[in-house]
Amino acid sequence: MRDGWDDEELMAALREAMKAREAVPDWFVETGQSAYAWHNIDAELAQLTYDSSRDTERAAVTRSENASIRALTFTSAHLSIELEITEGSLLGQIIPPRGGTIEVLTSAGASTTTPVDEIGCFSVVPIPAGQFRLRCRTTDGTDVLTGWITV
Amino acid sequence: MRDDPSVVALVERAAGSDQGAWNDIVDRYAPLVWSICTRFQLNSQDTEDVGQTVWLLLVGQLGKLREPAALPGWLAKTTAHECLRVVTAARKSDRLGARLDDAVQFADDAVLEEEVLTAELNAGLRAAFAELPLPCQRLLALLLTDPTPSYAEISAALDIPMGSIGPQRGRCLGRLRRSPALIALVEGDIGITVPGGEPGA
Repeated sequence: MRDGWDDEELMAALREAMKAREAVPDWFVETGQSAYAWHNIDAELAQLTYDSSRDTERAAVTRSENASIRALTFTSAHLSIELEITEGSLLGQIIPPRGGTIEVLTSAGASTTTPVDEIGCFSVVPIPAGQFRLRCRTTDGTDVLTGWITV
Repeated sequence: MRDDPSVVALVERAAGSDQGAWNDIVDRYAPLVWSICTRFQLNSQDTEDVGQTVWLLLVGQLGKLREPAALPGWLAKTTAHECLRVVTAARKSDRLGARLDDAVQFADDAVLEEEVLTAELNAGLRAAFAELPLPCQRLLALLLTDPTPSYAEISAALDIPMGSIGPQRGRCLGRLRRSPALIALVEGDIGITVPGGEPGA
């Protein structure tokens, strides 16, 4: 069928192809390209399954109580990471509870490690500036990496 | 499933440690991921989240993809899955109301297959264009400008006689038609199926 395209049809198809590429913003492509930094990192991806800032009903309630608390949950096949972001710190718990370490990885490439106590709790102070991800390694050998978080 | 040798090679190189090959994969398929997010009418924050998740999942799958040529189908399915997740989460918080029904229909296999076919054709056309000699690229790019410049303007911009614009256009399109990137598409034109199963499994 494409063999049968005359010049006008080919030009129209080429125009559509160029338009489809131009419709994609640079930041979208750059985000995808920078994902390669995580190549060969053998951690399971934990996906965002709850974000209170997107929960309009709850946001209305918490606004009147304490505007600064935001709750996030990341879930992987083996564990969940629950986060509470307050003004000055990031508090978290691993579910089901167990000890280990939390590594904070920023988009600038910096990394800091925080211990997770035996009931799965940890705190990160101060809250990292800009985008970051958490990599959780538990004492039983589970290795999980969250998606990007921006506070 | 069509076996696009250039895509297979890109996936193999990216599974090694070739950032350039990865960048080419993203460049080639970003319009597919973007277009599916657009169908789901995600806002830019959700689109960014979906994009990040899809590419991160793919990074984790490099080297594990049993059929690298099935990549476009995998990307379409994974993107739709992530879009549905976002829309469902929003629905739970009552942000979107009745849109979930619409959203489910966008994740339909036939819709995704059409997205994949369009994206593959477009990617093949862009690849074929990029393989053209520079004078052809310049001429066709000008002719594709909206609004199309007059032959007098093109003649002045490219410093070629007006009388040769038509014949050169024809020759350039002929080369485009014979480009290996497009021939690969035509030869493999046996319908592209979206592989079943959960993405990331």
